[in-house]
Amino acid sequence: MSKLSHYIESAGAILLAVIWISPLLFAFWAAFHSTSDAVNFNIMSAWTLDNFRTAWDGAPWLRYFMNTFLLVTLVLIGQFFFTTLAGFAFAKLEFPGKNLVFILVLMQLFILPEVLIVENYAMVSRLGLFDTLFGVGMPYMASAFGIFLMRQSFKSVPIELHEAARIEGCGLLGILWRVYVPLAKPTYLAYALVSVSTHWNNFLWPLIVTNSPDTRPLTVGLSIFGAPENGVDISVISAATLMSVAPLLIAFLVFQRQFVQAFLRAGIK
Amino acid sequence: MTGEAFVELKDVAKRWNGQLGVENISLEIEQGSFVALLGPSGCGKSTSLRLLAGLELPDEGSIWIDGRDVTTSAASDRNLSMVFQSYALFPHLSVAENVVFGLKVRRVPRAERNEKLGNALKITGLEGLEDRKPSELSGGQRQRVALARAIVAGQKLCLMDEPLSNLDAKLRASVRKDIKKLQRDLGITVVYVTHDQTEAMSMADKVVLMKDGRIQQIGSPDDLYNRPANTFVAEFVGAPPMALLDFHVLDGLQECQTLGLRAEKITIVPFGTGRLSCTVSEAEFLGSETLIGLEHDGVVGLTVLQPGLAMLAEGERIDITFNDEDLHMFNEVGERIDRH
Repeated sequence: MSKLSHYIESAGAILLAVIWISPLLFAFWAAFHSTSDAVNFNIMSAWTLDNFRTAWDGAPWLRYFMNTFLLVTLVLIGQFFFTTLAGFAFAKLEFPGKNLVFILVLMQLFILPEVLIVENYAMVSRLGLFDTLFGVGMPYMASAFGIFLMRQSFKSVPIELHEAARIEGCGLLGILWRVYVPLAKPTYLAYALVSVSTHWNNFLWPLIVTNSPDTRPLTVGLSIFGAPENGVDISVISAATLMSVAPLLIAFLVFQRQFVQAFLRAGIK
Repeated sequence: MTGEAFVELKDVAKRWNGQLGVENISLEIEQGSFVALLGPSGCGKSTSLRLLAGLELPDEGSIWIDGRDVTTSAASDRNLSMVFQSYALFPHLSVAENVVFGLKVRRVPRAERNEKLGNALKITGLEGLEDRKPSELSGGQRQRVALARAIVAGQKLCLMDEPLSNLDAKLRASVRKDIKKLQRDLGITVVYVTHDQTEAMSMADKVVLMKDGRIQQIGSPDDLYNRPANTFVAEFVGAPPMALLDFHVLDGLQECQTLGLRAEKITIVPFGTGRLSCTVSEAEFLGSETLIGLEHDGVVGLTVLQPGLAMLAEGERIDITFNDEDLHMFNEVGERIDRH
């Protein structure tokens, strides 16, 4: 009986995994075959790299990659900076209205970013940051999730370490930099993963706030490249999609173990 | 030793809402001395140390270190080092980095830093462990890293908060000696918090016994043992503690309320010839001697020590005797009455 349920569970898991990965597998299949071979699932058909050549020539991909890379880096740096300072303040400092402010920060978690798109758009325009990478990244820098995560991580640092550093002559920022930040490394890694993959894949907001190929990230570039008015060529679009997701996908496959461990450790603490 | 006190607390008080802090702490500490703050848990000894360290600020009174009023100074400006009960080693730094942490923060040049590091590691016997992380060390080694960090900067005042409580009994005795030797060799002033009277009595030049946030007695270990200032000190210090007798128990000593008597001053005499006739309540064999607990109306904690193995049956009646000059006298509020 238990053996049977074991098989059923395994089969279910495999089925789910196949369903999950099939779009990616199809994209992979399509990218390396001509369109007619791809849709006909002609197993014996020849493999080709033509789709990649066509896709690569069809748009300024290098520029898009650069933009996405810069955007993700910029957002991550901004997030580390703001969430570290805010998380530290919420975890270890006393100031009037601390709990109220923290609740306000947490309420941000309940609000979908899409709801704020119009307001953010107006704000970014007012600041003159429309169609700049900084404008794309700015609304995400003071992340409520990040602040909450850092606060929890800093709260778990034993108070004796804080006091020992104080006695050894550290100022408040010195303690933060020399004690809290190094001890929160797993949390930073886990958070970086979430942040990078989120902003690598973010589409709606960059679509709205960018206007030129100079600032467009990969996602927006890809959607414009694949827009129906350019004619739909499944193989070429698949090739372009694979190119876009490749850096993240390869990074995840290579560092899978470390990623999972970082999450586990960040969770335990 | 200079006449001027090196560390001085004047009428220091610290209160928390509803919780007992410390009251009326006045204490003078000479340079180069070893002072132990002793007392049961919750007596305020750790609070006193934290006030001295600058980790807490007093509500009343002033604190002076090396002729400077440091009452409101930051911990980092007080020129002292501290060993924490949990050692407070930075888990992400190696032994060497832990030890020189403070020097790095204070921007001591690299060459000087390395020299001091080498010295501190040599003194504490940690050579060869420089690159280990604290998690790769044994409890005793961690403790020595904490000590090395405390002495590396050459601060004249070192505070220790129950540094031995996480070690096993055997190691504790040897580290106790090491700390005492270190303090003497380096000539530093140590303020040492402990709840273990053996530690306090064996290491300290001066013991400060506290209870409920107040100092009960300040004195040498000899003072505390042989001239306890009140019944609390009498009962806290010594193993076994001093027996307390109601004055009604004995005749002819009416001028006080309570009498104190050390176990080693009592002798067992043949039945019918003693000053007090008691019942044996327990007998404990300690190896070199046997501790015999006695019961009598109006007497608390009466024990007598017999050399070697000398077990007595529970319920047996024996007579004891002692000299009048070995009796300590306390008045009705428990304070010592000195004999003239």
